Amino acid sequence: MVNVVALLTPELYFVAIILATWIVARVMTSITARVMSTSTPAVTVQARRAVKLLVWSVGTILGLGVLGFNTEILTVIVTLLGAGVIVTLRKPLENMGSKYFTDVYVPFRLGDSVSVGGHTGKVIEMNSISVVILDAENHLVSVPNTVFMEREVVNVTPRAWKELVIPVTVGNEVDLATFESEVMKSLDKLWLHLDKRFPPVLTTKSKGSQSTELTILVYIQSPEERDMMMAEVNKRITETINSMRKTK
Amino acid sequence: MPPAPPNADEGGASATDKLSICVNTQTPLVQFVSQLPKRRIRGRGVLRLSELKEGVDYRYSPGGVTRMVLPLLRHLRQDGRVEGVHWVSLNPTGPKTIDVDGIILHSVTLDTPRLRSYGTIKETISGRAHGVETRGATADDMFWSDDYAEFAHYNRLTAELMKDLDKRHDFDLFYIHDFQQLPVGHMIGTLKPKVYRWHIPFETSMIPTQWTEPLSTYFNSYDLIVVSADKYLSSLKQFGYQGRVERIYPYVDPRDYSRPSGKEVAALTEGMGIARDDRVILLVARMDPLKGQDRAIRALARILKRLPKAKLVAVGNGSFSGSRQGLGLSKSERWRQELTRLCGSLGVTDRVLFTGHISQRELDALYERCDLTLLPSVREGFGLVVVEGWLHRRPAIVTNRAGIAELIKGGKNGYLVDPEDIEGMAEKISLILDDTELGARLGRAGLETSRLCTIAEGVRSESKMITELVGGEGKW
Repeated sequence: MVNVVALLTPELYFVAIILATWIVARVMTSITARVMSTSTPAVTVQARRAVKLLVWSVGTILGLGVLGFNTEILTVIVTLLGAGVIVTLRKPLENMGSKYFTDVYVPFRLGDSVSVGGHTGKVIEMNSISVVILDAENHLVSVPNTVFMEREVVNVTPRAWKELVIPVTVGNEVDLATFESEVMKSLDKLWLHLDKRFPPVLTTKSKGSQSTELTILVYIQSPEERDMMMAEVNKRITETINSMRKTK
Repeated sequence: MPPAPPNADEGGASATDKLSICVNTQTPLVQFVSQLPKRRIRGRGVLRLSELKEGVDYRYSPGGVTRMVLPLLRHLRQDGRVEGVHWVSLNPTGPKTIDVDGIILHSVTLDTPRLRSYGTIKETISGRAHGVETRGATADDMFWSDDYAEFAHYNRLTAELMKDLDKRHDFDLFYIHDFQQLPVGHMIGTLKPKVYRWHIPFETSMIPTQWTEPLSTYFNSYDLIVVSADKYLSSLKQFGYQGRVERIYPYVDPRDYSRPSGKEVAALTEGMGIARDDRVILLVARMDPLKGQDRAIRALARILKRLPKAKLVAVGNGSFSGSRQGLGLSKSERWRQELTRLCGSLGVTDRVLFTGHISQRELDALYERCDLTLLPSVREGFGLVVVEGWLHRRPAIVTNRAGIAELIKGGKNGYLVDPEDIEGMAEKISLILDDTELGARLGRAGLETSRLCTIAEGVRSESKMITELVGGEGKW
């Protein structure tokens, strides 16, 4: 039996690595484009370039390594460059991370009136980096997402305390229409504790090839129950998703 | 019939100067008599209606979808303003995709329990808008019932299908009809222009206060709402709708109505059991308590002593909701039985004729044969059958709760009556039956009024509205 691996010369290894790098770079840039499909096109282009550069850097170092080149210096340079990029992008990355937490834990949504960092106005945009507020003088105020984690936020919208906005990601293997009706039926059982004037409202935010991002909005009856209701509603939504996955 | 576009399977290629529209109605344009054999669905699953036989395989749905929406779309396509038209509707027995002369119909299907739940909510909303209580969910608990969850399920299925189609065809406009489809605009979640047409009555006093917030949320997801009568414009604003509202009267295509010869009229109507000397009061409406057939029967009973030859001819049977191809709700049959009992108790059985569903030719013959048309509805979004009567120069008696009431000038082109005032209804019927010249005069004036409700006027108004929404004449 011929040992195929033994036949591979360093040059063939190099070609194989470059080919694999090319494939990985294409796949990764494609995934980046899909994930950022709702972002500003200019930002998406830059993100794709960064991902492509990263993949090619790693692939080139690996390729040169099998050809016998000393890649230590290259590795150090790429690592330093990577660290430099992270330091440079520290603030935007912090804001992106904060976006996740503000979505889940800070109680406001688009259209609400909030006071934060000395600014009061209506929330008209929530992006990866900041929340844009339209103040009383019609000025646009861009408040970085980190501010919402670090400072007090007052939601001055009437009835804001009633609103529970639950962000949900549903895999596309789950039928959205059935998911919605099952969640509604499950939440019907809590109706004594929910404001009867406002049935649960499901709003889809974006639909990707793998999953759909959505929010479920319910209105609670009593402020004291907010914490408990949040947990209960989250539990019911998770149970619904899990049972639908099992049924699949 | 307009020629099919070259790429009919895909609803036509989107030229830059032609619009692509996604229409949504609950009632499908065509209902299939039974499940079609799979061998008839060819290619990519698009079934061509032209390959099937009307009356055997399918029939056009009676009412607005065939009388208004289809002619509008055909006109817009013929004028070259619109090319791609995709039409999504509930069609439990229909094939997935049907090509009707280049207009592509897409079916949403539901299983029987879900259909029933959906039907319950639909009836509750419709009943309240028309001012009557219905069985099933009450106003208080409607949004918190399993039935409402299924109602949302149907709307979500519809919205998801429309979103998928939008990805493929990049529509310029979404045009959503019927109160049952109200949540669809919110569920589509697109910033593209969304027009919503509300066909049933809309009076704030009729809507339970518990419904205000959710309905208002849904209304506000539309860029423009079209209503059928001026009186509904202010109601929508009072309800918290902040967008644009237009009144466009429902319309018919006069070319769809012919005037059969006297000989044919006599043959067709005598075949139905109408004697030569009968004085015919024609009531065209689906069998539904909201349509007030009981009031017409009571009014007839009051005039028979003096006008023994008066005869009430009630045309129509169930709606799509009541059909086996639709929601399978049996209310039309129940109502018909109640009416039959009422006729018996009032002793007018032989003076009331229930025809059920009849052909357009027979209907034209009845319009020609009748002395007047009567619309005794408890509440009515508009009342296009009055316009149909006018096209045949027939005078109309209409309840003041119908949208079309605002076009009636008492004693000029018809009479208005209160649906609760049976005596008043009987009196107005007698007035016309007693005075043939009066009836003819009112009918002629009615024909003039009907011009406000013709397809030409409708297309003009709708085109203007669409032009403004999609960005001006340059787009057309």
